Amino acid sequence: MGDAAQIQFDTIPSFLGVPVGDLEDLVPGRIAIAGYFCDNLDHPAAGQRYLARQLRYVSGFGNAPANSIDVGDVNVFPLEPNKHFPAVTSQCQAVLETGARMVLVGGDSSGLKALATAANKATGADITVVSVTKDIVSALPKTQPIILSVDLDKLAAKWVSHPRHLVGLSPAEMVAQIEITRGNVVAAAIFGLAPELDNRGRTETCAALAILQAVTERLNKGAG
Amino acid sequence: MTKAQGRLKMAGYANLPLGEISQCEVGNVGVLGVPSEVDSGLRSGASLAPDALRKMSKQLGIDLPVHGRDLGNLDLSGDWPEVLMQLVTQMVSCRVMPVVLGGALDVASAVLRALPDLPVVAALPLARRDLVQRPADTILLGLNGGQPADIWDQIIQRKIHWSTARQLDEGRANILEMPEHAVLWIDISVIDLGHAAGAVGLNPGGMKPETLVSIIGAMSCDWQAIVITGLAPACDTRGVSELASIEVLNAALRHG
Repeated sequence: MGDAAQIQFDTIPSFLGVPVGDLEDLVPGRIAIAGYFCDNLDHPAAGQRYLARQLRYVSGFGNAPANSIDVGDVNVFPLEPNKHFPAVTSQCQAVLETGARMVLVGGDSSGLKALATAANKATGADITVVSVTKDIVSALPKTQPIILSVDLDKLAAKWVSHPRHLVGLSPAEMVAQIEITRGNVVAAAIFGLAPELDNRGRTETCAALAILQAVTERLNKGAG
Repeated sequence: MTKAQGRLKMAGYANLPLGEISQCEVGNVGVLGVPSEVDSGLRSGASLAPDALRKMSKQLGIDLPVHGRDLGNLDLSGDWPEVLMQLVTQMVSCRVMPVVLGGALDVASAVLRALPDLPVVAALPLARRDLVQRPADTILLGLNGGQPADIWDQIIQRKIHWSTARQLDEGRANILEMPEHAVLWIDISVIDLGHAAGAVGLNPGGMKPETLVSIIGAMSCDWQAIVITGLAPACDTRGVSELASIEVLNAALRHG
Protein backbone atom coordinates (compact mmCIF):
# COMPACT_ATOMS: atom_id res chain seq x y z
CA MET A 1 0.00 0.00 0.00
CA GLY A 2 1.41 3.40 -0.96
CA ASP A 3 2.15 6.21 1.48
CA ALA A 4 -0.75 8.33 0.23
CA ALA A 5 -3.20 5.53 0.76
CA GLN A 6 -1.69 4.74 4.15
CA ILE A 7 -2.17 8.33 5.30
CA GLN A 8 -5.88 8.04 4.50
CA PHE A 9 -6.16 5.03 6.76
CA ASP A 10 -4.23 6.56 9.66
CA THR A 11 -7.41 7.99 11.17
CA ILE A 12 -9.22 4.66 11.13
CA PRO A 13 -9.06 2.84 14.46
CA SER A 14 -7.11 -0.38 14.12
CA PHE A 15 -6.19 -3.21 16.47
CA LEU A 16 -3.43 -2.00 18.82
CA GLY A 17 -2.99 1.03 16.57
CA VAL A 18 -1.08 -1.01 14.00
CA PRO A 19 -1.06 0.03 10.34
CA VAL A 20 -3.98 -0.97 8.17
CA GLY A 21 -3.07 -3.26 5.32
CA ASP A 22 -4.22 -5.85 2.87
CA LEU A 23 -3.33 -9.28 1.60
CA GLU A 24 -0.68 -7.80 -0.70
CA ASP A 25 1.15 -6.39 2.31
CA LEU A 26 1.64 -9.77 3.92
CA VAL A 27 4.99 -11.51 3.80
CA PRO A 28 6.43 -14.35 5.84
CA GLY A 29 6.88 -13.33 9.46
CA ARG A 30 4.24 -10.60 9.45
CA ILE A 31 1.26 -10.81 11.75
CA ALA A 32 -2.18 -10.24 10.28
CA ILE A 33 -4.94 -9.28 12.70
CA ALA A 34 -8.49 -9.67 11.40
CA GLY A 35 -11.94 -9.10 12.88
CA TYR A 36 -14.60 -11.80 12.91
CA PHE A 37 -18.19 -10.56 13.16
CA CYS A 38 -20.20 -13.72 13.68
CA ASP A 39 -21.68 -14.88 16.98
CA ASN A 40 -24.59 -17.14 16.17
CA LEU A 41 -23.02 -20.41 15.04
CA ASP A 42 -21.03 -22.05 17.83
CA HIS A 43 -21.72 -21.36 21.54
CA PRO A 44 -23.74 -18.40 20.39
CA ALA A 45 -24.14 -15.34 22.58
CA ALA A 46 -25.39 -12.10 21.16
CA GLY A 47 -22.86 -9.30 21.19
CA GLN A 48 -19.68 -11.35 20.83
CA ARG A 49 -19.44 -10.10 17.26
CA TYR A 50 -18.69 -6.57 18.49
CA LEU A 51 -15.44 -7.42 20.25
CA ALA A 52 -13.34 -6.53 17.21
CA ARG A 53 -15.06 -3.17 16.91
CA GLN A 54 -14.63 -2.34 20.60
CA LEU A 55 -10.99 -3.37 20.59
CA ARG A 56 -10.28 -1.08 17.66
CA TYR A 57 -12.07 1.79 19.42
CA VAL A 58 -10.00 1.49 22.59
CA SER A 59 -6.69 0.81 20.87
CA GLY A 60 -4.12 3.53 21.09
CA PHE A 61 -0.68 3.39 19.60
CA GLY A 62 0.69 0.72 21.83
CA ASN A 63 3.60 -1.61 21.84
CA ALA A 64 2.40 -4.05 19.22
CA PRO A 65 5.13 -5.77 17.25
CA ALA A 66 6.15 -3.51 14.36
CA ASN A 67 5.44 -6.18 11.78
CA SER A 68 1.73 -6.44 12.66
CA ILE A 69 -1.01 -5.15 10.40
CA ASP A 70 -4.77 -4.91 10.64
CA VAL A 71 -6.18 -6.58 7.55
CA GLY A 72 -9.79 -5.63 8.25
CA ASP A 73 -12.57 -8.12 8.78
CA VAL A 74 -13.15 -11.47 7.17
CA ASN A 75 -16.38 -11.67 5.18
CA VAL A 76 -19.00 -13.66 7.03
CA PHE A 77 -22.37 -15.15 6.13
CA PRO A 78 -23.92 -15.88 9.53
CA LEU A 79 -27.32 -16.72 8.08
CA GLU A 80 -25.84 -19.15 5.57
CA PRO A 81 -23.59 -21.54 7.52
CA ASN A 82 -22.95 -23.72 4.48
CA LYS A 83 -21.54 -20.73 2.67
CA HIS A 84 -19.97 -19.18 5.77
CA PHE A 85 -17.40 -21.79 6.78
CA PRO A 86 -15.86 -22.29 3.33
CA ALA A 87 -15.70 -18.52 2.88
CA VAL A 88 -14.00 -17.83 6.21
CA THR A 89 -11.70 -20.82 5.77
CA SER A 90 -10.55 -19.69 2.33
CA GLN A 91 -9.89 -16.14 3.52
CA CYS A 92 -7.83 -17.35 6.49
CA GLN A 93 -6.04 -19.79 4.21
CA ALA A 94 -5.15 -16.97 1.81
CA VAL A 95 -3.61 -15.03 4.68
CA LEU A 96 -1.66 -18.00 6.05
CA GLU A 97 -0.39 -19.03 2.61
CA THR A 98 1.53 -15.76 2.41
CA GLY A 99 3.64 -17.07 5.31
CA ALA A 100 2.14 -14.54 7.71
CA ARG A 101 0.78 -15.54 11.10
CA MET A 102 -2.81 -14.66 11.86
CA VAL A 103 -4.98 -13.54 14.77
CA LEU A 104 -8.75 -13.79 14.36
CA VAL A 105 -10.50 -11.48 16.80
CA GLY A 106 -14.07 -11.58 18.07
CA GLY A 107 -17.23 -13.53 17.51
CA ASP A 108 -17.93 -17.01 18.75
CA SER A 109 -15.79 -20.13 18.59
CA SER A 110 -16.87 -20.88 15.02
CA GLY A 111 -14.02 -18.65 13.85
CA LEU A 112 -11.52 -20.93 15.57
CA LYS A 113 -12.86 -23.93 13.68
CA ALA A 114 -12.52 -22.21 10.33
CA LEU A 115 -9.05 -20.97 11.26
CA ALA A 116 -7.92 -24.46 12.24
CA THR A 117 -9.14 -25.89 8.95
CA ALA A 118 -7.40 -23.09 7.06
CA ALA A 119 -4.14 -23.60 8.93
CA ASN A 120 -4.15 -27.31 8.20
CA LYS A 121 -4.71 -26.63 4.52
CA ALA A 122 -2.22 -23.78 4.27
CA THR A 123 0.65 -25.47 6.07
CA GLY A 124 -0.06 -29.09 5.26
CA ALA A 125 0.98 -29.79 8.84
CA ASP A 126 -0.93 -31.38 11.66
CA ILE A 127 -1.87 -28.31 13.65
CA THR A 128 -2.70 -28.64 17.34
CA VAL A 129 -5.23 -26.30 18.90
CA VAL A 130 -4.08 -25.29 22.38
CA SER A 131 -6.63 -23.69 24.68
CA VAL A 132 -5.49 -21.09 27.17
CA THR A 133 -6.53 -22.46 30.55
CA LYS A 134 -5.28 -22.09 34.09
CA ASP A 135 -2.75 -24.85 33.82
CA ILE A 136 -1.61 -25.47 30.30
CA VAL A 137 0.21 -28.73 30.53
CA SER A 138 2.02 -29.05 27.28
CA ALA A 139 4.82 -31.35 26.34
CA LEU A 140 4.76 -30.13 22.76
CA PRO A 141 8.06 -29.65 20.99
CA LYS A 142 8.96 -26.06 20.21
CA THR A 143 8.55 -26.65 16.50
CA GLN A 144 5.06 -28.13 16.70
CA PRO A 145 2.70 -25.79 14.83
CA ILE A 146 -0.14 -24.74 17.07
CA ILE A 147 -3.16 -22.47 17.11
CA LEU A 148 -3.85 -20.63 20.34
CA SER A 149 -7.48 -20.70 21.37
CA VAL A 150 -8.17 -17.78 23.70
CA ASP A 151 -11.71 -18.08 24.99
CA LEU A 152 -12.47 -14.88 26.90
CA ASP A 153 -15.54 -16.56 28.41
CA LYS A 154 -13.01 -18.14 30.77
CA LEU A 155 -12.42 -14.77 32.46
CA ALA A 156 -13.74 -14.59 36.03
CA ALA A 157 -16.99 -12.72 36.70
CA LYS A 158 -15.32 -9.67 38.17
CA TRP A 159 -13.60 -8.87 34.88
CA VAL A 160 -16.64 -8.75 32.62
CA SER A 161 -19.83 -6.72 32.37
CA HIS A 162 -22.22 -9.61 31.93
CA PRO A 163 -20.63 -12.69 33.45
CA ARG A 164 -21.77 -16.22 32.76
CA HIS A 165 -19.93 -17.82 35.68
CA LEU A 166 -18.27 -16.61 38.88
CA VAL A 167 -14.94 -18.37 38.86
CA GLY A 168 -12.36 -18.05 36.13
CA LEU A 169 -9.03 -16.63 35.09
CA SER A 170 -7.80 -13.10 35.54
CA PRO A 171 -6.44 -11.29 32.47
CA ALA A 172 -2.95 -11.47 34.02
CA GLU A 173 -3.24 -15.25 34.35
CA MET A 174 -4.32 -15.51 30.72
CA VAL A 175 -1.42 -13.36 29.57
CA ALA A 176 1.01 -15.45 31.62
CA GLN A 177 -0.35 -18.67 30.14
CA ILE A 178 -0.11 -17.26 26.61
CA GLU A 179 3.52 -16.33 27.18
CA ILE A 180 4.54 -19.77 28.41
CA THR A 181 2.66 -21.85 25.87
CA ARG A 182 5.07 -24.11 24.07
CA GLY A 183 5.02 -24.68 20.32
CA ASN A 184 5.24 -22.76 17.09
CA VAL A 185 2.20 -20.48 17.18
CA VAL A 186 1.06 -19.96 13.60
CA ALA A 187 -2.35 -18.49 14.40
CA ALA A 188 -4.64 -17.55 17.24
CA ALA A 189 -8.32 -16.91 17.80
CA ILE A 190 -9.62 -14.59 20.52
CA PHE A 191 -13.33 -14.95 21.06
CA GLY A 192 -16.16 -15.51 23.53
CA LEU A 193 -16.66 -12.02 24.96
CA ALA A 194 -19.70 -9.82 24.40
CA PRO A 195 -18.26 -6.47 25.41
CA GLU A 196 -20.19 -3.56 26.80
CA LEU A 197 -20.86 -1.25 23.87
CA ASP A 198 -19.51 2.06 25.07
CA ASN A 199 -17.06 4.52 23.60
CA ARG A 200 -14.30 4.35 26.16
CA GLY A 201 -13.64 0.71 26.88
CA ARG A 202 -14.73 -0.97 30.07
CA THR A 203 -12.48 -3.20 32.09
CA GLU A 204 -13.29 -6.20 29.94
CA THR A 205 -12.32 -4.47 26.69
CA CYS A 206 -9.08 -3.20 28.20
CA ALA A 207 -8.39 -6.72 29.49
CA ALA A 208 -9.10 -8.15 26.05
CA LEU A 209 -6.77 -5.59 24.51
CA ALA A 210 -3.94 -6.63 26.85
CA ILE A 211 -4.60 -10.24 25.92
CA LEU A 212 -4.56 -9.38 22.20
CA GLN A 213 -1.22 -7.66 22.72
CA ALA A 214 0.16 -10.73 24.48
CA VAL A 215 -1.10 -12.98 21.69
CA THR A 216 0.47 -10.76 19.06
CA GLU A 217 3.79 -10.80 20.88
CA ARG A 218 3.61 -14.57 21.24
CA LEU A 219 2.95 -14.92 17.52
CA ASN A 220 5.89 -12.65 16.81
CA LYS A 221 8.05 -14.97 18.87
CA GLY A 222 6.87 -17.90 16.76
CA ALA A 223 8.45 -21.10 17.98
CA GLY A 224 9.07 -21.09 21.69
CA MET B 1 -43.31 -18.68 16.87
CA THR B 2 -41.10 -21.71 16.22
CA LYS B 3 -41.38 -24.88 18.29
CA ALA B 4 -38.02 -24.14 19.91
CA GLN B 5 -39.14 -20.65 20.89
CA GLY B 6 -42.35 -22.09 22.25
CA ARG B 7 -40.45 -24.56 24.42
CA LEU B 8 -38.19 -21.78 25.66
CA LYS B 9 -41.17 -19.71 26.68
CA MET B 10 -42.78 -22.63 28.47
CA ALA B 11 -39.70 -23.85 30.32
CA GLY B 12 -39.27 -22.87 33.96
CA TYR B 13 -36.20 -22.30 36.12
CA ALA B 14 -33.12 -23.93 34.60
CA ASN B 15 -35.20 -25.50 31.84
CA LEU B 16 -37.34 -27.49 34.27
CA PRO B 17 -40.79 -28.21 32.90
CA LEU B 18 -43.60 -26.25 34.45
CA GLY B 19 -45.86 -28.45 36.51
CA GLU B 20 -47.48 -29.27 39.82
CA ILE B 21 -46.39 -31.10 42.94
CA SER B 22 -48.43 -34.14 41.92
CA GLN B 23 -46.22 -34.48 38.83
CA CYS B 24 -43.02 -34.60 40.89
CA GLU B 25 -41.40 -37.92 41.69
CA VAL B 26 -39.49 -38.93 44.80
CA GLY B 27 -36.09 -37.24 44.78
CA ASN B 28 -37.23 -34.45 42.48
CA VAL B 29 -37.09 -30.76 43.26
CA GLY B 30 -40.10 -28.47 43.19
CA VAL B 31 -39.06 -24.91 42.37
CA LEU B 32 -41.52 -22.39 43.73
CA GLY B 33 -41.27 -18.62 43.29
CA VAL B 34 -42.57 -16.49 46.14
CA PRO B 35 -42.33 -12.89 44.95
CA SER B 36 -42.88 -11.08 48.23
CA GLU B 37 -41.50 -7.59 48.62
CA VAL B 38 -39.60 -5.87 51.41
CA ASP B 39 -41.87 -3.55 53.35
CA SER B 40 -39.33 -0.89 54.25
CA GLY B 41 -36.03 0.58 53.17
CA LEU B 42 -34.80 2.09 49.96
CA ARG B 43 -33.60 -1.11 48.37
CA SER B 44 -36.60 -2.99 47.13
CA GLY B 45 -37.15 -5.28 44.17
CA ALA B 46 -37.06 -8.69 45.85
CA SER B 47 -40.38 -9.49 44.19
CA LEU B 48 -38.60 -9.46 40.81
CA ALA B 49 -36.15 -12.16 41.88
CA PRO B 50 -37.97 -15.41 40.98
CA ASP B 51 -38.63 -14.39 37.40
CA ALA B 52 -35.18 -12.79 37.05
CA LEU B 53 -33.59 -16.07 38.15
CA ARG B 54 -35.68 -18.01 35.66
CA LYS B 55 -34.70 -15.62 32.88
CA MET B 56 -30.99 -15.70 33.67
CA SER B 57 -30.89 -19.48 34.08
CA LYS B 58 -32.37 -19.69 30.59
CA GLN B 59 -29.91 -17.18 29.14
CA LEU B 60 -26.98 -19.10 30.60
CA GLY B 61 -28.34 -22.47 29.53
CA ILE B 62 -28.03 -23.75 33.11
CA ASP B 63 -29.33 -27.23 33.82
CA LEU B 64 -29.95 -28.48 37.33
CA PRO B 65 -28.19 -31.66 38.43
CA VAL B 66 -31.57 -33.07 39.49
CA HIS B 67 -34.96 -33.50 37.86
CA GLY B 68 -38.12 -31.80 38.97
CA ARG B 69 -40.75 -29.24 38.14
CA ASP B 70 -41.05 -25.51 38.25
CA LEU B 71 -44.26 -24.90 40.17
CA GLY B 72 -44.54 -21.26 39.11
CA ASN B 73 -45.05 -18.34 41.48
CA LEU B 74 -47.20 -18.37 44.58
CA ASP B 75 -50.24 -16.11 44.54
CA LEU B 76 -49.57 -13.59 47.28
CA SER B 77 -53.15 -12.58 47.87
CA GLY B 78 -54.58 -13.75 51.19
CA ASP B 79 -52.64 -15.64 53.85
CA TRP B 80 -49.79 -16.68 51.58
CA PRO B 81 -47.33 -17.65 54.36
CA GLU B 82 -49.81 -20.29 55.51
CA VAL B 83 -50.24 -21.55 51.93
CA LEU B 84 -46.47 -21.63 51.50
CA MET B 85 -46.06 -23.62 54.72
CA GLN B 86 -48.63 -26.15 53.51
CA LEU B 87 -46.93 -26.51 50.13
CA VAL B 88 -43.49 -26.98 51.72
CA THR B 89 -44.84 -29.56 54.16
CA GLN B 90 -46.61 -31.38 51.34
CA MET B 91 -43.47 -31.52 49.21
CA VAL B 92 -41.23 -32.70 52.04
CA SER B 93 -43.71 -35.41 53.01
CA CYS B 94 -43.65 -36.62 49.37
CA ARG B 95 -39.82 -36.54 49.47
CA VAL B 96 -39.74 -33.74 46.93
CA MET B 97 -37.22 -31.05 47.81
CA PRO B 98 -38.75 -27.58 47.88
CA VAL B 99 -36.52 -24.95 46.28
CA VAL B 100 -38.14 -21.68 47.20
CA LEU B 101 -37.08 -18.57 45.34
CA GLY B 102 -38.00 -15.47 47.35
CA GLY B 103 -38.84 -12.82 47.86
CA ALA B 104 -38.07 -11.09 51.09
CA LEU B 105 -37.04 -12.58 54.43
CA ASP B 106 -40.64 -13.44 55.31
CA VAL B 107 -40.45 -16.22 52.72
CA ALA B 108 -37.69 -17.96 54.69
CA SER B 109 -39.59 -17.46 57.93
CA ALA B 110 -42.56 -19.33 56.51
CA VAL B 111 -40.38 -22.16 55.18
CA LEU B 112 -38.63 -22.54 58.54
CA ARG B 113 -41.95 -22.54 60.39
CA ALA B 114 -43.12 -25.34 58.09
CA LEU B 115 -40.12 -27.47 59.09
CA PRO B 116 -39.72 -26.65 62.79
CA ASP B 117 -37.69 -29.68 63.83
CA LEU B 118 -34.99 -29.57 61.21
CA PRO B 119 -31.58 -27.98 61.68
CA VAL B 120 -30.90 -24.91 59.55
CA VAL B 121 -27.78 -23.84 57.72
CA ALA B 122 -28.26 -20.15 57.06
CA ALA B 123 -25.98 -17.80 55.14
CA LEU B 124 -27.05 -14.33 56.16
CA PRO B 125 -25.49 -11.20 57.62
CA LEU B 126 -27.85 -10.75 60.56
CA ALA B 127 -29.35 -13.64 62.48
CA ARG B 128 -33.04 -13.39 63.17
CA ARG B 129 -34.62 -14.06 66.53
CA ASP B 130 -36.78 -16.91 65.20
CA LEU B 131 -33.66 -18.55 63.79
CA VAL B 132 -31.58 -18.57 66.95
CA GLN B 133 -34.54 -19.81 68.97
CA ARG B 134 -34.98 -22.99 66.94
CA PRO B 135 -34.57 -26.21 68.90
CA ALA B 136 -32.32 -28.03 66.45
CA ASP B 137 -28.67 -27.26 65.71
CA THR B 138 -28.22 -24.18 63.59
CA ILE B 139 -25.21 -23.10 61.58
CA LEU B 140 -24.87 -19.42 60.72
CA LEU B 141 -22.53 -18.39 57.92
CA GLY B 142 -21.32 -14.92 57.04
CA LEU B 143 -22.51 -13.01 60.12
CA ASN B 144 -21.40 -9.43 60.46
CA GLY B 145 -20.95 -7.42 63.64
CA GLY B 146 -24.31 -5.73 63.50
CA GLN B 147 -26.23 -8.28 65.58
CA PRO B 148 -28.37 -6.94 68.39
CA ALA B 149 -26.90 -7.80 71.82
CA ASP B 150 -29.71 -10.16 72.79
CA ILE B 151 -29.23 -12.16 69.60
CA TRP B 152 -25.51 -12.46 70.31
CA ASP B 153 -26.33 -13.65 73.80
CA GLN B 154 -28.61 -16.34 72.44
CA ILE B 155 -26.08 -17.40 69.81
CA ILE B 156 -23.47 -17.84 72.54
CA GLN B 157 -25.74 -19.42 75.13
CA ARG B 158 -27.14 -21.95 72.70
CA LYS B 159 -23.67 -22.74 71.33
CA ILE B 160 -24.77 -22.06 67.78
CA HIS B 161 -21.99 -22.58 65.30
CA TRP B 162 -21.30 -19.30 63.53
CA SER B 163 -18.64 -17.76 61.34
CA THR B 164 -18.07 -14.36 59.86
CA ALA B 165 -17.73 -13.56 56.19
CA ARG B 166 -14.09 -12.70 56.72
CA GLN B 167 -13.33 -16.02 58.39
CA LEU B 168 -14.95 -17.85 55.50
CA ASP B 169 -13.21 -15.76 52.83
CA GLU B 170 -9.87 -16.39 54.48
CA GLY B 171 -10.54 -20.10 54.93
CA ARG B 172 -10.35 -19.80 58.71
CA ALA B 173 -13.75 -21.26 59.54
CA ASN B 174 -14.06 -24.91 60.43
CA ILE B 175 -17.49 -26.40 60.25
CA LEU B 176 -16.82 -29.54 62.19
CA GLU B 177 -20.22 -31.11 62.48
CA MET B 178 -22.70 -30.92 59.66
CA PRO B 179 -26.21 -32.17 60.34
CA GLU B 180 -27.28 -35.10 58.25
CA HIS B 181 -30.48 -33.36 57.15
CA ALA B 182 -31.12 -29.64 57.19
CA VAL B 183 -32.82 -26.69 55.59
CA LEU B 184 -30.54 -24.40 53.62
CA TRP B 185 -31.31 -20.70 53.67
CA ILE B 186 -29.28 -18.33 51.55
CA ASP B 187 -29.95 -14.64 51.99
CA ILE B 188 -28.16 -12.90 49.16
CA SER B 189 -27.38 -9.94 51.44
CA VAL B 190 -24.62 -12.15 52.85
CA ILE B 191 -22.57 -11.28 49.77
CA ASP B 192 -20.38 -8.21 49.88
CA LEU B 193 -21.95 -5.19 48.22
CA GLY B 194 -18.78 -4.54 46.25
CA HIS B 195 -18.96 -7.94 44.59
CA ALA B 196 -22.67 -8.18 43.95
CA ALA B 197 -24.94 -5.22 44.54
CA GLY B 198 -28.27 -6.92 43.90
CA ALA B 199 -29.38 -7.47 47.46
CA VAL B 200 -32.01 -5.78 49.59
CA GLY B 201 -29.54 -5.42 52.45
CA LEU B 202 -26.32 -3.46 52.19
CA ASN B 203 -23.44 -5.54 53.48
CA PRO B 204 -20.07 -3.90 52.87
CA GLY B 205 -18.24 -6.53 54.92
CA GLY B 206 -19.87 -9.48 53.27
CA MET B 207 -18.66 -12.64 51.66
CA LYS B 208 -17.25 -13.06 48.17
CA PRO B 209 -19.75 -14.81 45.90
CA GLU B 210 -17.14 -17.43 44.99
CA THR B 211 -16.66 -18.21 48.69
CA LEU B 212 -20.38 -18.68 49.21
CA VAL B 213 -20.58 -21.12 46.29
CA SER B 214 -17.52 -22.98 47.42
CA ILE B 215 -18.62 -23.27 51.10
CA ILE B 216 -22.10 -24.48 50.25
CA GLY B 217 -20.77 -26.80 47.55
CA ALA B 218 -18.42 -28.41 50.06
CA MET B 219 -21.21 -29.18 52.55
CA SER B 220 -22.26 -32.76 52.52
CA CYS B 221 -25.81 -32.61 53.77
CA ASP B 222 -29.10 -34.02 52.63
CA TRP B 223 -30.94 -30.73 52.15
CA GLN B 224 -34.63 -31.06 52.91
CA ALA B 225 -35.47 -27.63 51.54
CA ILE B 226 -33.59 -24.71 50.07
CA VAL B 227 -34.74 -21.12 50.22
CA ILE B 228 -33.15 -18.07 48.65
CA THR B 229 -34.14 -14.59 49.77
CA GLY B 230 -33.02 -11.00 49.58
CA LEU B 231 -32.12 -10.87 45.89
CA ALA B 232 -32.94 -7.53 44.29
CA PRO B 233 -31.94 -8.06 40.68
CA ALA B 234 -32.65 -4.52 39.52
CA CYS B 235 -29.91 -3.22 41.84
CA ASP B 236 -27.24 -5.21 40.01
CA THR B 237 -26.98 -4.36 36.33
CA ARG B 238 -24.17 -6.88 35.81
CA GLY B 239 -26.25 -9.77 37.08
CA VAL B 240 -23.56 -11.10 39.44
CA SER B 241 -26.07 -11.44 42.30
CA GLU B 242 -28.37 -13.58 40.15
CA LEU B 243 -25.40 -15.56 38.91
CA ALA B 244 -24.28 -16.16 42.50
CA SER B 245 -27.78 -17.33 43.45
CA ILE B 246 -27.90 -19.73 40.53
CA GLU B 247 -24.39 -21.10 41.14
CA VAL B 248 -24.92 -21.57 44.88
CA LEU B 249 -28.19 -23.35 44.24
CA ASN B 250 -26.54 -25.65 41.74
CA ALA B 251 -23.65 -26.30 44.13
CA ALA B 252 -26.08 -27.23 46.90
CA LEU B 253 -28.06 -29.55 44.66
CA ARG B 254 -24.92 -31.16 43.26
CA HIS B 255 -23.36 -32.03 46.58
CA GLY B 256 -26.31 -32.09 48.94
